[in-house]
Amino acid sequence: MSLFRRTSRRYLVVLAVAAVIATAFVQRHLVVHAQPSEPSQLTVYSPQTTYSVPVLEKNGQPYVGLVELLEPLGTVDARPDGKKYKLRYTPPGGKPREAQFTEGKDKGKLAGNGYKLPGNFILQSGRGYIPLAVVPDVMLRLATLEVEYHPASRRLFAGNPPERFTLELRKDTTSRLFISFPAAVNPSISTEAGHVHFTFRREPVIPAGADSVKFSDPLITGATFSEQAGVAELDVLGTAPLMANFADGGKTIIVAAAPAPPPPVAQAPEPSAQAPSNVPVPAPPPQKPSTPRFLVLIDPAHGGTDVGAAITPSLAEKDIVLALARRVQRELANRGIAASLLRNSDVALSLDQRAVAVNAARPALYVALHAANTGRGVHVFTSLLPAANLSRQDFLPWDTAQSAFIDLSGSVAGSVAAELEARKMPYTTLVAPLRPLNNVAAPAIAIEIAPATDKVEEIASASYEEQVAQSIAAGIAAIRGKLPEVRP
Amino acid sequence: MTRRILLVFAALVIIAIGLAFYALQLRRKVARDEQLAAQQQIAIAPPANGPSTPVTLYVASDNNGALTKTEMNAVLPAERSERDRSILRGLLELYLQPQTSHPIGAGADIRDVYVMGDDTAIVDTNSAFADAHPSGVLAEELTVASIVTTLNANDARIAKVKILVNGQERETLAGHADLRRFYLASNVGQATKDVP
Ligand SMILES: [Zn+2]
Repeated sequence: MSLFRRTSRRYLVVLAVAAVIATAFVQRHLVVHAQPSEPSQLTVYSPQTTYSVPVLEKNGQPYVGLVELLEPLGTVDARPDGKKYKLRYTPPGGKPREAQFTEGKDKGKLAGNGYKLPGNFILQSGRGYIPLAVVPDVMLRLATLEVEYHPASRRLFAGNPPERFTLELRKDTTSRLFISFPAAVNPSISTEAGHVHFTFRREPVIPAGADSVKFSDPLITGATFSEQAGVAELDVLGTAPLMANFADGGKTIIVAAAPAPPPPVAQAPEPSAQAPSNVPVPAPPPQKPSTPRFLVLIDPAHGGTDVGAAITPSLAEKDIVLALARRVQRELANRGIAASLLRNSDVALSLDQRAVAVNAARPALYVALHAANTGRGVHVFTSLLPAANLSRQDFLPWDTAQSAFIDLSGSVAGSVAAELEARKMPYTTLVAPLRPLNNVAAPAIAIEIAPATDKVEEIASASYEEQVAQSIAAGIAAIRGKLPEVRP
Repeated sequence: MTRRILLVFAALVIIAIGLAFYALQLRRKVARDEQLAAQQQIAIAPPANGPSTPVTLYVASDNNGALTKTEMNAVLPAERSERDRSILRGLLELYLQPQTSHPIGAGADIRDVYVMGDDTAIVDTNSAFADAHPSGVLAEELTVASIVTTLNANDARIAKVKILVNGQERETLAGHADLRRFYLASNVGQATKDVP
């Protein structure tokens, strides 16, 4: 009897274990990938650009994607082959170097030498990931860039050392703090009772001296520098409301007492302004003389949760267009044309956000980049405008912003098409009701790349993207003289 | 005793794996059935009696980014909006064929066509039309253009067309083509190369 009871209890235990295993199996098959929490990021400052790379928690330690890390710096040709992963990186004007790793193994090759990772190499959906800890080393060996890495804030200074700023308190008639940078900066500034707070998102700045400085001054009492999550911040503390002004073309920020707010009743202004008030005064925007300039704004479409078209199960439109955008930017730079990217990382932007950002940037030309698996070759689009004879209720003025520029947009599309023709690449020029093209108050085109042949995955090959990027850049360079420069 | 327990354990693990596999198959079957059901809904035949009338379809081709004019005869409902709906359903049916020149998502259908003020057509599509539509500038633009051009070719008074999804306005068809706007038949012509 007791034997039976013991046995049946054992059976129950076995049954419970089996049930757990069964549940695990079923869950693995039925549950779609759980959404990870908001990913953190690594901020990389390089001589060409500042960009962020998503940091993912894998196997209990932070990892970053190799392509995401290297692509903004040079040309990357990554080839996953089964469990093997080969990557060739070519710096602009330099010689290619190779990395080779195997999924689930920590041993690999880096620039011709054996290399051991502090964790196993991960290959997921054709993308290779390395532990964050070896990023400085990989940058040095593969990209041959001297690096300085701040692990706590995940800021990586590649190629150039960080830009060190100095603090100097000058006491003339009133106290002023001069913050001097080696290059122009454009931080966001917030002021609140007795504080001016600077946030540097793109600038590779660190203090030349200590992080925290105290002044024996009745107005400005100290400054504290901190960096976290890829962002640098400087907080200046005062005993009265402070304000910030830019000088020396943005290379110097002067913090001084904010002027007293105007009295409620009109009075003769006091000759010497004092700042005894507690009302915070926002810092005025940088006062730089604006000269017309020629800036191309490249918009790699989609991003973040909006993956765009799935070219293959492992090739998403959002990634292809970001890589292409960086190539176009480099090709334009080779032709002496300044270009910036609307997004330089895997972030989501709505169509309205895109339109607002483009019009705020006041580019001489807007180029949206898409990728799809429809048709063959390169599709060059200009906007299909709403017809002018429709009543106002059918269209908002917002939807007709492109109207004034449609002829110039057509000229740019024609020029790019001519370059594609010259390179014997299959292409089609079309008009499309594409958002946010209609909302852009500048010459604007959209380029959609589709595979050139039946080999769909070749859409992401370095040679194809290079040819497309060269055609776009050459087309823009050829028409540049006809496009007006714009005051920022 | 221990051996017997091990055997039972192994048997249970095998059953567990089997169950998981079955669950996976079930999930696939449900998806397939849904697709099939949606396709069958589309294949509703037009009324068999009545006179046969010529119909013009502007059929999109992904390869050359163009619309091809295709003429055929069909028996159509007499009522204007029902007639327009039948013609558009015929167009979508072509796109749902395996050998189509312009594939769209399985289950795509036209729920209704409303004619307003004589010259405006509101085309109400179902969720599958937008949700399963291939994402891309060219793919979406061709679908919109072929619908607008086909409507206008068979009902010349239709000058303006608006596309809804499940009775609602959408921002885009599948991430690209603007669905918030009215399309002008005269205007959409420039969006495509017309292959006779
Ligand atoms: Zn796209």
